[in-house]
Amino acid sequence: MADPELSVTTAQMGKDLAHDVGSTGEQVRRTGRLALYTRRFLRRPSAVAGVVVLALLVLFALFGDSLTRWGYDEPDFLSLASPPSGEHLFGTTQGGSDVFALVVRGLGRSLMIGILSSLAITLVAAVVGTAVAFFEGWVEKVGMWILDMLLVIPSFLLIAMIVRSSSGTSGWLWLTLGITAFGWVGYARVLRTLTLSLRELDYVHAARFMGVRSFTIIWRHLIPNLGSVLIIQTVLGVVTAVNSETALSFLGLGIKAPDTSLGTILQMGQGVVQTSPWVLLAPAVALILLTLSVQLIGDGLRDAIDPHSRSGGKA
Amino acid sequence: MVRFLVRRLANYVVLLFVAVSFTYFVASYFMDPRSNYLSRHPIPPKASIDLSLTAANINDEDPLLGRYWRWLTNIVLHWNWGLSPDQDPVGAAVSGRIGASLQLVTLATILSIVVGVAIGVFTAIRQYRWQDRVLGGLATFFLVIPTAVLALFVVLGAIWINKGLGFRLFYVTGLHSYEGSQFGPWLLDFLQHLVLPTIVLTIISAVTYHLTQRTYLLDTMNADYVRTARAKGLPLNKAIRKHALRTSLIPTAVNVAFSIASVFTGAVITESVFAINGLGRYFVTTIQQNDINGAVCIAAFAGACTLAGALLADVVVAWLDPRVRLS
Amino acid sequence: MTDQILTTTGDHPDGTPPEGLVLPAGAGRLTPATEPVLSVRDLHVSFASEAGTVRAVRGVSFDLLPARTLGIVGESGSGKSVTSLSIMGLLDQNARVEGSIRLKGTELLGKTELEMSKHRGNDMAMVFQDPLSALTPVFSIGDQLAEALDLHQDLTRKQVRDRSVELLDLVGIPNPAERLKSFPHQFSGGMRQRVMIAIAIANDPDVIIADEPTTALDVTIQAQVLEVLKKAQRETGAAVVMITHDLGVVAGVADDVLVMYAGRPVEQAPVDELFARPAMPYTMGLLGAVPRPDRGENRRLVPIQGNPPSLVDLPVGCPFADRCPLVEDRCRTAEPPLAPVPGRVDQRAACVRVDEIVAEGLTFEDVYPVGEAAESGLDGVPREEREVVLEVTDLKKHFPLTKGGFLRRRAGTVKAVDGVTFDVRAGETLALVGESGSGKTTTLLEIMRLQAPQGGTVAVLGKNLAELARPERAALRRELQIVFQDPQSSMDPRLPVYDILAEPLKVHGWSRARTNERISELMRLVGLNPDHVDRFPTQFSGGQRQRIAIARALAVGPRLVVLDEPVSALDVSIQAGVINLLEDLQAQLGVAFLFVAHDLSVIRHISSRTAVMYLGQVVEQGDTEAVFTAPRHPYTQALLSAVPLPDPQLERQRRRVVLQGDLPSPAQEIVGCRFASRCPVRAALPADRRTLCDTVQPGLATGAVPGTDHGAACHYPLTSSAAEDVRVPSRA
Repeated sequence: MADPELSVTTAQMGKDLAHDVGSTGEQVRRTGRLALYTRRFLRRPSAVAGVVVLALLVLFALFGDSLTRWGYDEPDFLSLASPPSGEHLFGTTQGGSDVFALVVRGLGRSLMIGILSSLAITLVAAVVGTAVAFFEGWVEKVGMWILDMLLVIPSFLLIAMIVRSSSGTSGWLWLTLGITAFGWVGYARVLRTLTLSLRELDYVHAARFMGVRSFTIIWRHLIPNLGSVLIIQTVLGVVTAVNSETALSFLGLGIKAPDTSLGTILQMGQGVVQTSPWVLLAPAVALILLTLSVQLIGDGLRDAIDPHSRSGGKA
Repeated sequence: MVRFLVRRLANYVVLLFVAVSFTYFVASYFMDPRSNYLSRHPIPPKASIDLSLTAANINDEDPLLGRYWRWLTNIVLHWNWGLSPDQDPVGAAVSGRIGASLQLVTLATILSIVVGVAIGVFTAIRQYRWQDRVLGGLATFFLVIPTAVLALFVVLGAIWINKGLGFRLFYVTGLHSYEGSQFGPWLLDFLQHLVLPTIVLTIISAVTYHLTQRTYLLDTMNADYVRTARAKGLPLNKAIRKHALRTSLIPTAVNVAFSIASVFTGAVITESVFAINGLGRYFVTTIQQNDINGAVCIAAFAGACTLAGALLADVVVAWLDPRVRLS
Repeated sequence: MTDQILTTTGDHPDGTPPEGLVLPAGAGRLTPATEPVLSVRDLHVSFASEAGTVRAVRGVSFDLLPARTLGIVGESGSGKSVTSLSIMGLLDQNARVEGSIRLKGTELLGKTELEMSKHRGNDMAMVFQDPLSALTPVFSIGDQLAEALDLHQDLTRKQVRDRSVELLDLVGIPNPAERLKSFPHQFSGGMRQRVMIAIAIANDPDVIIADEPTTALDVTIQAQVLEVLKKAQRETGAAVVMITHDLGVVAGVADDVLVMYAGRPVEQAPVDELFARPAMPYTMGLLGAVPRPDRGENRRLVPIQGNPPSLVDLPVGCPFADRCPLVEDRCRTAEPPLAPVPGRVDQRAACVRVDEIVAEGLTFEDVYPVGEAAESGLDGVPREEREVVLEVTDLKKHFPLTKGGFLRRRAGTVKAVDGVTFDVRAGETLALVGESGSGKTTTLLEIMRLQAPQGGTVAVLGKNLAELARPERAALRRELQIVFQDPQSSMDPRLPVYDILAEPLKVHGWSRARTNERISELMRLVGLNPDHVDRFPTQFSGGQRQRIAIARALAVGPRLVVLDEPVSALDVSIQAGVINLLEDLQAQLGVAFLFVAHDLSVIRHISSRTAVMYLGQVVEQGDTEAVFTAPRHPYTQALLSAVPLPDPQLERQRRRVVLQGDLPSPAQEIVGCRFASRCPVRAALPADRRTLCDTVQPGLATGAVPGTDHGAACHYPLTSSAAEDVRVPSRA
């Protein structure tokens, strides 16, 4: 019998005692989990701030175009490279495009690409990662070898090659596809490791020994346990995806005119950084707000769902 | 030991071969060198386009497997990585740019490791105190901010400072502009160029070292053996510094081993913003010019660096961790 | 808080107490000759936690005299480890410590970390519970020993080295000079604990605090380490505080005992007094709840009802009141102080009814109601006539062994299970006993897989697993269920108890209505309130969770339940209830148990047959009584003699067979008898007779004792008279 006292940290002790209280207390509600997560999440001011900022950004991307009479693709040839003013809230580019309208449009694109590819990456990574962990033997060996192989070449290079061929208005879809196609490999490896350890839990063994079918075990015991990880990963994955998109578009390898994204506007701003810095400023601030708010939400979720995880580390 | 290294090396060679071949096919499928010519005015005659493309072994009308075979045999037999659409050998172009990347990234890598690990240790020991919270918040900020944004803000700041000073303290493009042959001015000039990109690169990777080192140290700080060290008579701070820190540096050393490889591959965004002709910027050029051979050559070099880093990491672990070394 | 010790001459006419006695705090006696080395007064420790303030220690006082051993006994959460850590000043910074701790007259509380570090490792030292994690993995043993020496002494390199070798030699590490260069992971758990002891005594401390030093170790290794600890105490003359939950360990090593409950000392006495005449009902309960390896008759264990109170909001009055059979109204009004027991020397107890208890000479049999064991329908049926529910023949399971992270290669084969044969019949309990690495758990998992084994055969209810078709195998799952060691991890924390219990029923296609009915039936069967099925596992205590796990195993009415160390994670007072439950369930339902455990006391109590495993093989098998009273294999004998008995007088009398060395590496190829390297019998043989042990693997020879199937795998099995000498002495 191991004496748990020894290793008890205070937090642990509080938790254990809370259990004891529960065991002698009144009948407890069954659906306490979600409420608990919400409470823990809301206790973090930074997480709440993240939600508020992200909500404002989404509203801005959806309805921002009604706040200006300029379209992102209708240049105002009468005011080229003009600083912010009542007419053009964030100023205009050298070509006379309204930066405000560009940012509204670009933010929408970045959000869209970020969310879609993060969802897709999580899906692919979850399927591949768990499958590789579940099939033992040669399937696992070959699977791991392929995953290793895909990690040899930096994914950024591969993504850049794929999206190069795409342009025009469907370019953002190609970009999403490209980010997904080579962005899932690392996550898949993480999920595989997690699944491997879940597979060895006593209650999974117990279910197997009871004769519960593998699929039921995955569904009832494993997916719910992976679920929290997947949610957190999807949220934080948005940051990674937005960053990839920005980098590619900034280099001129992603979204191209006539379509626009925040990275594309940054690229426009780079050339005129000495003369019209305002072109740069608005999309930069939008990007920082976007990635920071999502990251804060992700950190908050992580602490709320899994209070024992050490946030901040790499996978 | 030697047999193990040879076996692992063999596995890596196979991995690299498959990965690079895969990249070649991806590049050949998605990149379209013919479009370079079709966008010219006037459009050159098809025969002349085909001639140039075939000469560079990137003609999409030739069978892909044939092109792949020629590309492969040239590399294996002559160490010839092929030609760009402009008929320049890409091998020479790549090796010529490694130097610039090296100059740019080396200092930043060293700085980021030192600064990042130091801050990581500092904040871990002060977990949940204001120093940890402030630095942690900053780290989160720099972790998520896109590199391009950070780099451009640094440029803006430098321009503002230059304006304020009335002379050019910082250069925002290139690595060198001094033409003479004296070492002193050359170094000063080099540093004036190097400061800004180094700041960007250092911040970006120091943040990662900070956060991971903090996690590693927190994991080991509460270990039983730190308590044993205190029970022996080491004060808490010394016990952490001697026992927990040493153990927590092993995974960091592994990360360092990996990142040494990336010194050679340069930094795509930073090189583009500061107009430094390193490998990263060259990669952007190859993609823009539909230079299949160039892009694949860079990918192969990057892959080789990744694997060298992995091998180095293995060796580092075996060297630092007695549990691995002696088993 | 009393810091004054008054002189009274009442107890000892000459004014001097027996040498080296641990003084009860404030007992009103003074030793002019021997000052206490450690003196704790009214120690209080509390933590802030999310649930509120945890009052972990509430008023502990004791004096420790040189060269004496004080045992602090308590279950988890009793505050005994927190007490030890607060003496060493090793608690978290958010702990609030009040009272007084004096080391050789110097007050320790209030000292800074730097000042404390001058004492730690110098005049007081500590040995921790888990030797596997207590040494820094990246430094060599020599470096870690040298560090301890250099911190408090000014020695040359050579002196440090010599002293290190001397210390390692003292704690019984072979080739100490060479082993200095080794790293912790190259030592076994027992060896690492020896190193820890060497570090602790490096600077000749006056006080050694040993916090559960043998809990993580196997029983034969525990015996070795306790010997080393005693030796270290002799060498240094240090006083020892031995903190443990194991009453047997206390009985063997302590001079005086302090029993703690809910953060408070509830009884304090010299060890003989405490075990012979406990005065506090909790102490009585503990002693009655622990199964005895030296008692054959099937005495029913006395569980203490209920659970310890939460340390966050303690009830007014005696914290034990809710579980105490002697509880009265006045128990709930104020917490009784630790007061001298009338008529007893040096014994103190915290109970308002102590006068009655002493006057009427109440023992735990009087205090605790002993329940009736359920009658079994199979009782009269002789073993040979019972149905065979499980038959394992020559079972083999070998694993390839790959070495290390860096030089990963196949380094050999681990013969985890290598030719195991046994059978289990209806309604009986077969105990599979062995230390870690013996292959008992692997055997069990091989059976539970219900697949054709690597080697040998397994037949469940007469059906050979190798010949089963898929549907038959699925049907067979109903007959065979499992209970794991750790009830915390064997249930999905996300599911309420209802769903957990419904899982096996669902597999076997029970209807909703029948499932409902069955679940409330099961909850009652294991002594839980059926209304609690909506709760989550974390809302139950450890013992209750294990009851749920048992209910789940019994849900579909299996013929055989495999129990993997089912009570080893539970506190003694809780464990007794679960053992009783298992016995009753077997009697009521006629289910057979395959019981895997390392605790021989529990095994003797619960099982009718015993198979002893060593390195993947069964070395002895037979009726439990025969194996325990007349062991024939030297390993069984050593195992039995290593078990500490909760009886100080017997502990002093008995002779121990302390095995030399550790379990050989599982990958090692052994030609002859697997036990040869540690065997005391072989060691005493002339060289020519040893050859047999070294070259030929002995088979499990049954029939040596006429009329039984008691067998041992030994070339020179013990005769019963030789075994008599060192086996567990019996008072019965």
